[in-house]
Amino acid sequence: MASAKIPAQKVILCGDYGVGKSSIFRRFANDTFVASNDRKSTLGLDFYNKAFCSESGTDGHTHACQCPPISKLMVQLWDTGGMERVATVTSSYYKFSEAAILVYSVDNPDSFNSLANHLLEVASFAENAKIFLCGNKIDIITSDLVSNDDVDNFCEQCGIVSGIFKTSCKTGEGVNDMFDEIARVISTSSRSRHELLQLEQSFKLTTADIDSAEQQPDNCVC
Amino acid sequence: MDEEYDAIVLGTGLKECILSGMLSVSGKKVLHIDRNKYYGGESASITPLEELFEKYSTPVDPAYGRGRDWNVDLIPKFLMANGQLVKLLIHTGVTRYLEFKSCEGSYVYKGGKISKVPADEREALGSDLMGLFEKRRFKNFLVFVQEYDPADPKTWKDFDSRTQTTQQLYEKFGLDANTQDFTGHAIALYRDDEYLAKPAGDAMKRIKLYSESLARYGKSPYLYPMYGLGELPQGFARLSAIYGGTYMLDKQVDEIVMDAEGKVCGIRSGGEIAKCKQVYCDPTYVPERVRKTGQVIRCICLMDHPVPNTKDALSTQIIIPQKQVGRRSDIYVSVVSYTHQVAAKGWFVAMVSTTVETATPEEEIRPGLALLGPIRQKFVTVSDYYEALDPGQSTQLFISTSYDATTHFETTCLDVLDIFKRGTGEDFDFSKVKHNLGDEE
Ligand SMILES: Nc1nc2c(ncn2[C@@H]2O[C@H](COP(=O)(O)OP(=O)(O)O)[C@@H](O)[C@H]2O)c(=O)[nH]1
Ligand SMILES: [Mg+2]
Repeated sequence: MASAKIPAQKVILCGDYGVGKSSIFRRFANDTFVASNDRKSTLGLDFYNKAFCSESGTDGHTHACQCPPISKLMVQLWDTGGMERVATVTSSYYKFSEAAILVYSVDNPDSFNSLANHLLEVASFAENAKIFLCGNKIDIITSDLVSNDDVDNFCEQCGIVSGIFKTSCKTGEGVNDMFDEIARVISTSSRSRHELLQLEQSFKLTTADIDSAEQQPDNCVC
Repeated sequence: MDEEYDAIVLGTGLKECILSGMLSVSGKKVLHIDRNKYYGGESASITPLEELFEKYSTPVDPAYGRGRDWNVDLIPKFLMANGQLVKLLIHTGVTRYLEFKSCEGSYVYKGGKISKVPADEREALGSDLMGLFEKRRFKNFLVFVQEYDPADPKTWKDFDSRTQTTQQLYEKFGLDANTQDFTGHAIALYRDDEYLAKPAGDAMKRIKLYSESLARYGKSPYLYPMYGLGELPQGFARLSAIYGGTYMLDKQVDEIVMDAEGKVCGIRSGGEIAKCKQVYCDPTYVPERVRKTGQVIRCICLMDHPVPNTKDALSTQIIIPQKQVGRRSDIYVSVVSYTHQVAAKGWFVAMVSTTVETATPEEEIRPGLALLGPIRQKFVTVSDYYEALDPGQSTQLFISTSYDATTHFETTCLDVLDIFKRGTGEDFDFSKVKHNLGDEE
C-alpha cells in the first residue's frame, strides 16, 4: 500500500454512551448514518485511516485528500468499541492519541456534564493529546439545553480546548469541517521531544510472514 | 445484566481476555465481568506508582518522579518474538493496538557472574561460557537442531527425537554439564531438569523457537509492550467488545449458579442474576473448585540504574539455572525501564521471581537480587499457584491456571487454547477474525 508509510495520527472519540460517537465514526469512514439505536450501531467499529492534505501557500486549509502526496496527514479515528455502555473504556484506548474529541449530545445535558470525567481520563492517559469539543445531534430542535455559555465555561475551566464544533450525523452537517480543522491543528502541533524519544525504536508486530490479517483500506485516492 | 449470554467470563486477566476475545469473535454472546474497577486483574500494570506503594502498605516516597509515568507489572513476562502469543496477537489483529520494543539482552548466570546467552553459531564462537573445543561441539549441536526436520529422516543423522532423550542428544554431541545447563534453561527455557529424561523433540522445538525469535528482531528473542504488560489484556478486551462482548467492571460475583444436573446456568451478583450456558474464570473466582499446587515468589525492585554487567541495557532477562545455585527450579530476573514508558525518566523496574521450594522464599531469590546492584525499593509477593480440580466439560465451568514463574507467555497461551478447545469442542478459527467497518449488515 503506497501511502502506508505516512504515520497515522490517532484521534479518539470520548463521551457517554449514545451521544453519537459511532455515528461520527461512520460519517468519517464512509459517510453513512444508521438510525437504529441498539448495540449494532457500535459493533465492528475499530479504527479507520483517512488522509488529509495541507495546501501549502494558502492559510493551511486541509481537506479530505485528492491531491499529490505532499504534506499528507493520516488521521486515524478510533471508536470506543462500546465499552462505555456499562464499564469504562480501557486505559489503552487513550495511549498514543494525538487528539481526543469529547462528544456530547445537545439534547442531553447529562452527557455534557460528564465531559469533565472523560477529560480527566484523557488527561491521565494521553496528557499531550489535543482536546476538541463536539456537540452532536444539532438536527434535534432543543431550546438551549446546553447553552453556548455552558460550553464557554467548560472550555475556560479546562483551558486547553483546541476547537469547538457542532455536528449532526443525521444530516452530516459540520462533520467534514470538524475533521478538516482537527487535521489542520494536528499537522501544526508537534509532540513533546521526550515522548517521541521514548517511542523511538518501538514498532508494531507485522503480518509480514503470517498472511491472513488484512490491512486497513486506505481510502485516499491520491 | 438480566439478559442471557452464551458465556460469562469472570476476571479480566490476560487469559480471560484472550478467551473473551476468541469467544466473541466466534459469534458467542459474551458478558465479561471483573470485581476490580480496572482491567487486567493480576495482569494489570499498576499506575500511578502511589497505588503500588499503597498495595504493599508502604509509605509513598516522592523520590520517584511523577507517579503517572509508572506502569508496574505484577507478573513479569516477555513475549517470544516467534511465540504463541505473538501469533495470537497478529492473527486476531490485536497487534494493531500495541507498540513493542525488543528486549536488549538475554543473559545466563554461571559461577557468580552473568554472560550473554549464545543462541546462534556466531554468538557461540564469541561466548565466554565455553572453552574452544566446547564451542565447536556446541556449534555442531546448534546446526544439527536447526536442520533437524521431524518429517524428514534424512536430517536425523541416526537420532530419533521421538524416542531418544535430550540427555542422549547432549551426549551425542559431547556437550559438557555447563553447556547442557545453559542450553536447557536459558535457551530451551525449562524451569527444572525433568526434560533431560524426556524425548528430545520438545527441547529441539524450544531451541528453534528461541533462535527463530532471535532472528526476528535482533538483540534478543524477547519483546515487551510499551506501557507494560497490562496493555495485552486490554487489547483483547477491545477485540471482544468490538465483536459484541459486554464489559462490566467493579462488579462483585457472589455465586456461580448451577442447575439440577450440576451444570452452570448463571452467575449472581447481589440480587441480580445473569443467565448463561458457560462460565470461564480465573481461580480467584472459584476458590472451592481449585487446588493449590505450589507457590511463586516475585520481588519488584525499583532502581535508578541498569543492571551491572549488561552493557547498560534498558531491558534484560537473566536466567539463573537451578544447578548454579543448588536449587530445583530456576530463578528469573527481568528488567524493563523508562524506555518502555513503565517508569519515570532514568528509572528501572527489575523483577526477581522463582517457584518457591522452602519455608523462607525471600532467601531463595537472594542470588537474583545480588545481581542488581543497589535497590531503592523492594515489594515482595508470595502467591499461591492454583489449578482447576476438573477440566470443566461436565459442569461447563472452565477455570484457568494461575500464572506460573516462567518469564514468557508460551504456557499462558497453551492454557488458553486448551480451555477454548474444551469449552467449544474445536480449535480457534482465526479466519473468523475480520476487521471491517461493521457496515455490511
Ligand atoms: N437525530 C440524530 N440522531 C443521532 C445523531 N447522531 C447519532 N444519533 C443516534 O443516536 C443513537 C446513538 O448513536 P451512537 O453513534 O451509537 O452513539 P455512541 O454510543 O456514542 O456510539 C443512534 O440511534 C444514532 O442513530 C444525530 O446527529 N442526530
Ligand atoms: Mg458507540
